[in-house]
Amino acid sequence: MHTLARTRPINTDQLPTRANAFSQAVSILELHSISCAYDSSRPAVRDMSFSVREGEILCLLGPSGCGKTTVLRAIAGFEPVQSGEILLSGRVVSSLSETVPTEHRRIGMVFQEYALFPHLRVADNIAFGLNHLPRAERKRLVDEMLCLTGLEGFERRYPHELSGGQQQRVALSRALVQNPVLLLLDEPFSNLDPDMASRMRQEVHALLRRMNITSIMVTHDHDEAFAMADRIAVLNQGVLEQIDSPELIYHLPATRFVADFVGQADFIAGRIHQGLVHTELGTFPNTLNGSEGDHVAVMIRPDDVHLVPNKSAEPRIVARQFRGSENLYTVQLPSGQIVHSSESSTSVYQDGTSVDLHVSATHTVLFQAEAPSRP
Amino acid sequence: MIAVRPSSLSSLQLVALASAALVLLPLIYVMTLALSADPDVWYRLWTTRVPELLWNTSTLAGAVALLALALGVSTAWIVTRFEFPGRRIWEVALVLPLAMPTYVLAYVYNYLLGFGGPAEQLWQSLAGPQARIFSPQSFWGATLVMALDTFPFIYLLTRSALLSFNVSFEEVARTCGASPLRRTLSVTLPLLRPSIVAGVALVILYVVSDFGAVSLLRYQTLTYAVFQQMTGQLDNQAASILSLLLVVLALLFLLTERWFRRKSRFYQTAGRYRAPKRIPCNWLQTAGLTTSLAVIVGASFGIPVSLLIMWSLSPEALAILDARFFGFVWNSALLATLAATAAVLVGLPLAYLASRKPTWLNTGCLQAAYAGYVLPGPVAALAVLVLFLKVLPFFYGTVLVLIVAYVLHFLPAGLQSLEPSIQQITPNVEEVARTLGLSARETVRQVTLPLIRNGVIVAWVLIFLQTMKELPATLLLRPVGFDTLAIRVWLEASEEYYQLGAPSALLIVLVGLPALGLLLSRDWRAA
Repeated sequence: MHTLARTRPINTDQLPTRANAFSQAVSILELHSISCAYDSSRPAVRDMSFSVREGEILCLLGPSGCGKTTVLRAIAGFEPVQSGEILLSGRVVSSLSETVPTEHRRIGMVFQEYALFPHLRVADNIAFGLNHLPRAERKRLVDEMLCLTGLEGFERRYPHELSGGQQQRVALSRALVQNPVLLLLDEPFSNLDPDMASRMRQEVHALLRRMNITSIMVTHDHDEAFAMADRIAVLNQGVLEQIDSPELIYHLPATRFVADFVGQADFIAGRIHQGLVHTELGTFPNTLNGSEGDHVAVMIRPDDVHLVPNKSAEPRIVARQFRGSENLYTVQLPSGQIVHSSESSTSVYQDGTSVDLHVSATHTVLFQAEAPSRP
Repeated sequence: MIAVRPSSLSSLQLVALASAALVLLPLIYVMTLALSADPDVWYRLWTTRVPELLWNTSTLAGAVALLALALGVSTAWIVTRFEFPGRRIWEVALVLPLAMPTYVLAYVYNYLLGFGGPAEQLWQSLAGPQARIFSPQSFWGATLVMALDTFPFIYLLTRSALLSFNVSFEEVARTCGASPLRRTLSVTLPLLRPSIVAGVALVILYVVSDFGAVSLLRYQTLTYAVFQQMTGQLDNQAASILSLLLVVLALLFLLTERWFRRKSRFYQTAGRYRAPKRIPCNWLQTAGLTTSLAVIVGASFGIPVSLLIMWSLSPEALAILDARFFGFVWNSALLATLAATAAVLVGLPLAYLASRKPTWLNTGCLQAAYAGYVLPGPVAALAVLVLFLKVLPFFYGTVLVLIVAYVLHFLPAGLQSLEPSIQQITPNVEEVARTLGLSARETVRQVTLPLIRNGVIVAWVLIFLQTMKELPATLLLRPVGFDTLAIRVWLEASEEYYQLGAPSALLIVLVGLPALGLLLSRDWRAA
């Protein structure tokens, strides 16, 4: 995803969006301005609406306590809604007056800690939801699932005899084998070590695609969301901030919060003068339609800024963080404003080096200034 | 430095070895006594007493376990899965029966269910003057009394298992389309099984080793028979054979419990967990739940304690509250103080060494100290008695013999608080004290002891309170004429002088309450 996001030049309306592919598809899930609250004075989720189309993978992204898990649990039917309604396959499943029990919703769920039944073998765990089927049919489905998730040979094991990745595959199999209309994943990769997590991400993504499973995944990790999602819904303090393709979320964040949450961002103070935004780093087009004299902030991503050493330049490098594939520089402008720049892994400059900053943003993102801007 | 450390450790080691010997020697001696007995004695016992005793003991244990299981699991379920006014009060009240020694409950039920007692009168007023209820001095009487006294073990373990139960298991079962009944039967109960079985094993162990209730209810079990062989027949060899059987039986249950505990390790899941939601009750459900809980707590604690208070306030009882009565209180307190102090002094080096230097020798010593866990009171008394008669007959009939028996019997209970409190402090804090220039001795005094102080106090208080209510070993080993509160209760109850035993019994129950508080404060939070 990152290579895609950095491809230049790039036009706003040319941003490839996988989500477009689903625009014609049927909505599996619709949330109509739902609110949920554990105690009514402090709603955990407020007035949230979005829909998920068939075969789509939607990520609910946000910091802990933003309400993303509450939304997931409301969709699952574990939490009632205080207002609004949830439609699953066109049927109202949650409203103020009625909550269809989870067991009648035909959803699958993978919990963060997997919640594998420790007293049941792998095969029995997977078959748990197939109680209504004859034994032979159950066995066929379980075997098929074991094969799909690469768990052949493990069916007689108990959960505690499996590694973290294998446990997750069992949890996924158990959810998928019932052929759910919607799969819910609650921070599914957070209990795995980083290497295993990125392998499982690819595997799970490929599997969901192959089976054409409509899924909602909750995560607080934007890299995970970028890697998995067709669309990302960014939540903050119980409110939906933006729902868009990963590319749009990254390049055209709707709010400062989104800009900050999905990657490194600096906000440079500027002022509108004669139809242009004037900042320390030069002028930018006035995309906000602000009026003359307004204070605004320009969002700059590290990959929009290029450093060129120049002895007579005023900005100075104050820190370098080596990240393997890149160097992330922290640069201080004469005003004290900090700007980050991502350079190639081999461009190494000493701290204190004077540099010129070349900003090459293909699209300008402006926000209203939060406070009176610095001179 | 190098010179100090090994020498201080080796002296500790000697103390630990001596402590382990103190526990093991009587045990080994009584076992050899049993095994070296004349085959005729074995034969006589096997053909006459043993089958009946084994049958009585195991059927009683089984029946009590079933009844306690029903009571314990259902009450635990009610207080953890429902929300109704007074729930928190019931949550605590259900533990209270543990403050009742079995002989106190048996003594009260002897009256309640006895011939012409209130239960029979009530029944006759309903079913006619010829109607009879079951006698307390029967299998069913013993079962009822023991189950009412022991169900809190199962309640406590099931409750804490239910509280720490990861509700994700039930939720994921719902996403698999499982009905509430199927969720309970194939998810929740199987996952609670290790805790429930551990509770049942505790109950069985308790029943098998109980002396107080069965002796007052005249129900023949192995433990009671050991006591009778020692007192009635004065046959220590027959008693030791029965003891051997008893220890084997107890070990069997203990190992079962350990095995299930080990299995339960796998039943914990990593990651966050969400507490289950309690189901709110309407007034009708509240009334139903409250009534059933009130019946259970009333039968096991409320009614007995009210009766004891009533009897204690009767003129007969008030008349005996004289200097003699306070002499019994003093005797009890003196014995308990000596036993608790001795047990803590013996236990500390054992627990410390096993935690800091876990060699096979040190952990072996600690395990040996836990052997007392499977010794019913009469067996502990017998073991100490026969050894003293053999080696130091001079001390027979002194308080010393009694104290040794108490230490043997209650050391495991003390170690259960000492051990964690020592394990909790990382050796690093002792090591850092050494780098700051303190000697090994100063480190122990200034760092280790202050840190484990609470654990030591808890252990001391627990042993003190357990000794206060100990009955069989005291009965068998006390110096002549040296009566304690527990002895008085038992003697008066045996003669059915209900009023006269009441003040002592009430005092024992009251003293038992803080012990309960201590035990709970340890388990309550863990849940």
